[in-house]
Amino acid sequence: MLQVNNLSKVFRSEGGSVTAVDDISFSVDDGEFASIVGTSGSGKSTLLALLGALDSPTNGDIIIDDRTITGLRDRQLVDYRRKTIGFVFQNYNLVPNLSAVENVMLPMEYAHVPASERRKRAKKLLEQVGITDEKLQRKPGRLSGGEQQRVSIARALANKPKLILADEPTGNLDSENGTMIFDLLHKLARSEHTTILVVTHDLDIAGRTDRTFKLKDGKLQKK
Amino acid sequence: MNLFSRGIRNAFRNVIRTSSIIIILALSIGLSIAMLAAKQAVQDKIATVKQSVGNTVNISPAGFRGFEGGGTALTSDQLAKVSKVSHVISVTQMLSDRLDSNTTNLQSAIEAGQLGQRFGPGSSDTQPQLPTTDSSSSSPGTGTNTITRSFTPPVTITGTNNLSTTAAFNGNSAKITSGATINASSDENVALVGKALAEKNNLSVGSTFTAYNTTITVKGIYDTGTTFGNGGVVVPLATLQRLSSQSGAVTSATATIDSLDNLATATTAIKSALGSDADVSNSQDVASQTVEPLESVKKISVFSLVGAVAAGAVIILLTMMMIVRERKREIGVMKAIGASNAKIMGQFIVEALTLTILGLLVGTLVGIAAASPITKTLVTNSTTSSQSQQFGGGPMGAPGSNAGSRPVGGPAFRSIQQTSRQTLQNISASVGGSTLALGAGLAMLIAILGSAVPAYIISTIKPAEAMRSE
Repeated sequence: MLQVNNLSKVFRSEGGSVTAVDDISFSVDDGEFASIVGTSGSGKSTLLALLGALDSPTNGDIIIDDRTITGLRDRQLVDYRRKTIGFVFQNYNLVPNLSAVENVMLPMEYAHVPASERRKRAKKLLEQVGITDEKLQRKPGRLSGGEQQRVSIARALANKPKLILADEPTGNLDSENGTMIFDLLHKLARSEHTTILVVTHDLDIAGRTDRTFKLKDGKLQKK
Repeated sequence: MNLFSRGIRNAFRNVIRTSSIIIILALSIGLSIAMLAAKQAVQDKIATVKQSVGNTVNISPAGFRGFEGGGTALTSDQLAKVSKVSHVISVTQMLSDRLDSNTTNLQSAIEAGQLGQRFGPGSSDTQPQLPTTDSSSSSPGTGTNTITRSFTPPVTITGTNNLSTTAAFNGNSAKITSGATINASSDENVALVGKALAEKNNLSVGSTFTAYNTTITVKGIYDTGTTFGNGGVVVPLATLQRLSSQSGAVTSATATIDSLDNLATATTAIKSALGSDADVSNSQDVASQTVEPLESVKKISVFSLVGAVAAGAVIILLTMMMIVRERKREIGVMKAIGASNAKIMGQFIVEALTLTILGLLVGTLVGIAAASPITKTLVTNSTTSSQSQQFGGGPMGAPGSNAGSRPVGGPAFRSIQQTSRQTLQNISASVGGSTLALGAGLAMLIAILGSAVPAYIISTIKPAEAMRSE
């Protein structure tokens, strides 16, 4: 499903250059729940940004479902992010003045899903992650961290993406909520047959995924 | 929930900030609308004044200063050339003279008064009397001598070939209150007499008086509504030329042009035809001179309008830049979940438009309330300042010298100036549909200009920033 070939990312500045991702190659199968572990600054988030087409690599290719996304035009990248990728962020990144259900509807609007279907599907997804009733209309500020992350997961699933990229999804949560979120992702990966790639520094969490890649100083270590 | 509703809702994320921005924008837009209304009112007034003064060209002998002398009378032959100039449809000719006790039995209806006494030696009803010095009231060398003069103003007689012009009646509109009018193109010894002069000399229709040793019959009494205007005599041009032994002489003429559009061309052609023998000016020159203050008000309103629009655009620009910087992370997230630059820009433009439209609504009320007072203040200040400059010098009553800046003469033109100046003060600005539409257009311009830079900033934000922790 996902094929990464000799991927590198070098950040250049006046003070010199930093290689955040250094010649990485790996692949993830369709429907697999994989994790990337590494210490802070190891290049995990940069790798995730490259896979999500949020940043462009210095070298190398990213191939998803036989389609090379490196080198796509801006408009094609927007379309790729819209239809193929779902993001789950460490700090949830929900739009603060939109309700839970509106936050989940947002990616569907960008993907031109008819208005009548958006709300129905958003509610169904939120129910799946355990957000129901009056919480549907609550704004992020009135939801707990765990609830916000659940909304974030529902939002990531809104356009039925083939690949969910989760950046430290449990990083801001206590262990109970963290486990619950992880289990939720795991369950969705199975039920929706969605490929999930989780970046984490929590080895326990990583140990529960199908496969773990270890990053150190931008290089992929053998497991 | 779509781009529009999100943009509108976003405008109210911070109510205090939104209210402040709307108030500031409202002042800017209100000033823009007031200035638009002021400009429109002034423009309309200028057009009205120019239209009201008509399409006439004033011709007087070069250097002519009324009864103070100067210049050589124009001749009928010269004015015949004027009649042949393209676009000239008629030429009204006038000859003015003064009747004293040697030439008429009429008594002037106008008392000299204190002002008139200053021109004592100018009287010719008797031998000029030397000023009498009352030495008892002052001491030599103190400079406080009392001067007493005996002076009776002469009777003005005007000959004209066209009674429809106000110039024949000292620049006033005249109404025949008794009898009938005279045939101005005849050579009969008949006259129209001013109401005051008729009363002073017990004249009525059919009465006669003597002038230039000739008996003249009163055919009608006219009333101009002014003491000065009602103290004259009007006769046919040919009659006065014959009686005063000034055959073919003309002291002023007014050429009427077929349309305002041809006024400038015809004026140039008349100047060319008469050369240096005549001073030629058109009514539009007088009007232009009169509306000069309004032109400056128009300029002020245009500059203020541009300033207010620019200020509004800067307010929106800074506001939107602040908002975009504040929501940089949110923009990155929106891009990450599939929003295109156009969608995000659209949302922020809707937000800017929402603020601007609310500013426009409040600003319209401000503009409606402020338009008239601002216009009146600008016009009053400008015209007062201009008049004090124009009338600051120059001899009182000297024909053709009242403009101060350049000589335009004749009673008809003085009348035009007076009327025009009076109408300038009667200005009021109203915010009409077209002004509002223009104001709304300017508000949209403000929103678009103010959103342009923030939109560019949005397009440069990399979604990867959203992935990085705060």
